[in-house]
Amino acid sequence: MQERPSWGRVAAVLATATAILPPLAIIVYQSVLDGPFFQPSAKLSLSAFRFVMADADFHRALGSTLLVATGMTAVAVPLGALLAFLFVRTDLPGRRLLEPLLLIPIFLSPVVIAFGYVVAVGPVGFVTLLFRETFGTAPWNLYTIASVTLIAGLTHIPHVYLYTASTLRAMNVDLEEAASVAGASTARIALTVSIPMVRPALLYSGVLVFFLGFELFGLPLILGDPEGLLVLSTYLFKLTNRLGVPSYQLMAVVAVVIMAFAFPLVWVQRRLMGGAGRFVSIRGKGVSHAPLRLGRWRWVALALVLGWLGATVVIPLAGVFLRAFVTNWGEGVRLSEVLTVGHFTELLDYPNLIRGVVNTLLIGVVGGALAVACYAGIALAAHRWQSRWAKVLDYLVMVPRGMPGLVAGLAFFWVFLFIKPIAPLRATPLSLWIAYSVVWLAYGMRLISSALLQVGPELEEAALTVGASRGRITRDVTVPLIRFGLLGSWLLVFLIFVREYSTGVYLLGPGTEVIGSLIVSLWATGAMDTISALSVINVVLVGLGLLVALQLGVRVNE
Amino acid sequence: MRQIKASLFLIVLARAALAGDRPATAQEVIAAAEQEGKLVIYSTTDTIFVGPLLKDFNSLYPKISVQYDDLNSTELYNRVIAEVAAGNGSGDLLWSSAMDLQLKLANDAYAQAYLSPEATHLPSWASWRNEVYATTYEPIVFVYNKRLLKAEDVPHSHACLAKSLSADPAKWRGKVASYDPERSGIGFLLITQDSRLDPDFAATARAYGAAGVKLYTSIGAMLERIQSGEHLLGFNIFASYATARQWKDPSIGIVYPKDYSLVMSRIALIPRAAKHPNAAKAFLDYLLSRRGQELLARSALFSLHDEVEGEMTASALMKKRGGNFKPLPVGPSLLVYLDQAKRLDFLRRWQRALGTK
Repeated sequence: MQERPSWGRVAAVLATATAILPPLAIIVYQSVLDGPFFQPSAKLSLSAFRFVMADADFHRALGSTLLVATGMTAVAVPLGALLAFLFVRTDLPGRRLLEPLLLIPIFLSPVVIAFGYVVAVGPVGFVTLLFRETFGTAPWNLYTIASVTLIAGLTHIPHVYLYTASTLRAMNVDLEEAASVAGASTARIALTVSIPMVRPALLYSGVLVFFLGFELFGLPLILGDPEGLLVLSTYLFKLTNRLGVPSYQLMAVVAVVIMAFAFPLVWVQRRLMGGAGRFVSIRGKGVSHAPLRLGRWRWVALALVLGWLGATVVIPLAGVFLRAFVTNWGEGVRLSEVLTVGHFTELLDYPNLIRGVVNTLLIGVVGGALAVACYAGIALAAHRWQSRWAKVLDYLVMVPRGMPGLVAGLAFFWVFLFIKPIAPLRATPLSLWIAYSVVWLAYGMRLISSALLQVGPELEEAALTVGASRGRITRDVTVPLIRFGLLGSWLLVFLIFVREYSTGVYLLGPGTEVIGSLIVSLWATGAMDTISALSVINVVLVGLGLLVALQLGVRVNE
Repeated sequence: MRQIKASLFLIVLARAALAGDRPATAQEVIAAAEQEGKLVIYSTTDTIFVGPLLKDFNSLYPKISVQYDDLNSTELYNRVIAEVAAGNGSGDLLWSSAMDLQLKLANDAYAQAYLSPEATHLPSWASWRNEVYATTYEPIVFVYNKRLLKAEDVPHSHACLAKSLSADPAKWRGKVASYDPERSGIGFLLITQDSRLDPDFAATARAYGAAGVKLYTSIGAMLERIQSGEHLLGFNIFASYATARQWKDPSIGIVYPKDYSLVMSRIALIPRAAKHPNAAKAFLDYLLSRRGQELLARSALFSLHDEVEGEMTASALMKKRGGNFKPLPVGPSLLVYLDQAKRLDFLRRWQRALGTK
């Protein structure tokens, strides 16, 4: 399908670049200075690089980051693919009821999850104490790199699940049915037909989880805090205090290092993908669907799903809820004597906390929808575009993914401070929305492109043949075909925005409060009562939001 | 008749008390402040602690609307220097527990001078160049878990703590918590002061290391885990936060070390870039006034005003616990360890003593 280069498409690329490049440029520039970029005394210098490279802690942090990121990918991708196959293709009992629950781990701020684990399975957590009373000993240690890796892996399964499931749903079942007719077992179909067909989604989500591993902040911050367990993001955090005054140049160097890992990964990912045509599976014909039978394995599969939910959702949430309704806990405390609802009534006295709750909802629902509209616009601009621009765009959208949220938030704080025309936006939720949308650009776009990848060119070519314009094709053919992908993206982006905590930390102020950043801000001084109450409110709001979405027909199990 | 006389007397007394309770801010400053109509405070003190204070300030000056930004200490510093560089104004009053960073702002000419009429009630160490004012008197203490640590095992001085740690490292292994001087600016400030005041600091640090001390960035996490029994004891902890926690949970025990108790303070200053400098002056006066200090004391932030009475005051502390309180003087001596080389060198020695490197 040859056509003239369209100015609309080029404009989309330029608009994306305008949103992404200023914060990136500030960070790179800052990394080669010897002081904050806005101070006249700052000079060009590689001293920050020398300092970081000579620091033993940096190498330790880099090593454990690679270990954690690899480990969590190895946990999340196979299990996520398995769950997607079980829920989308088989007769797993109770799958309709269970599916919304699968997503809960991505609703929860990692700070909240980690906090919940400490209350539940920490050295004096209630599960630990119970276990020790019953069996004499509790053979685990929550504060190790292995625990952080395992928890990170388990909590990132939903990311893999969402990408894989939405691709599987969009995929024709003919091939699987053919295999079934030919006598293949369900396991064999999964391993030799379904999973290979969703390879793009698995690769994307694998790379994504690996990236997220580079950005892990909440879990290592809380679980690794007293043990001195360092990953790159907590190392970056440590650098804020190392020299007494904020050392932006050192933080920028670490951010640049993280991005240096991100770019080759994008390249590898593109290479692995090969020709996208191999994976096209929405063809111009109807789709019917009969679930594959698991037989007696149904109950094993159900036990696996419930076991994962128990470990990843029930245990930490029980910890958080427990903490929200007691004044203290731990060894030697009778919980029945310390119950209270005081933490919640206290919130009402603080308008900034109430604004935080309102802003969080606003940025999740409205901001999420707007962000998906932007992502879809960019993805459609690049759709079936054989041009060097499309490649530029592809790398461009991966760039912010490589920036840790904390650093991206700081960079946006500078952008809103020093670029005068947009300065008035700084104290409004709009600044947060822009920062969030850019930080999660790659994330939201991959879901949309994964869906777009499944659309065979012949439907669009048919429309072109009968004389439809490019815009008409997009409106009447492409968008309707990916509508489930779009709804899924909105849901995903909503959840991510509501949970986001690191990006907003530096933008936090009256007008831009969100629950996640408030929790981080309260964490340092220790208003644990408020934190646990806010966490519960966060969880409840998201749960309600999900229910409303389901009622409106955004069916995650479509 | 006597009754009427008595009640008249009471009314007069009450009015006198009320009038005396107004901060001594000059009329023209108040007029200008009300003209400005707004006040932006950047603070590291949780809103939870200052709610009553802000409400009362508002009832005194209803024409000044207060915006209270609750930030952490490095963020606060970051934000101010970046905003000043952008040339678009900044907060009107900066109120932070990172004493060294506040002094650095003043030393680097970010602060403006204002001689507060309330400063006469402050001790001499509590202000510098009429630019920086200490507003609280918060001892640094040991905190322990009363349920799990027997009264006879509670150490009452740094030396005693070091001794019991070395005597039975197995019992204390992983059970002691403190700030991580590498990752927390406040923690660094406190441990460098310890090294100055504790004649046997090297031995004390070795004892901490032998007990496998757990080092935190968050005071909240520390208190939470001492409360739960994961740790038995924490050192270098603000008495203010510990007391606020103790009011809610009596299983928190507090020790004012007998050999010496450091005293930290929340430092207030008015930046040159303030857009509402008069409102900031009115608030600073209020913060230092008897009326403001009484409310601070009620929120567990200890008062240093010489006329405020009650348990949470500098005078009551000294009367009850003896004279071993060592307030950090507000002045350039706080800047010593902001020197990069000195700081890194201290950290290296600390890690070596601890045996972690």
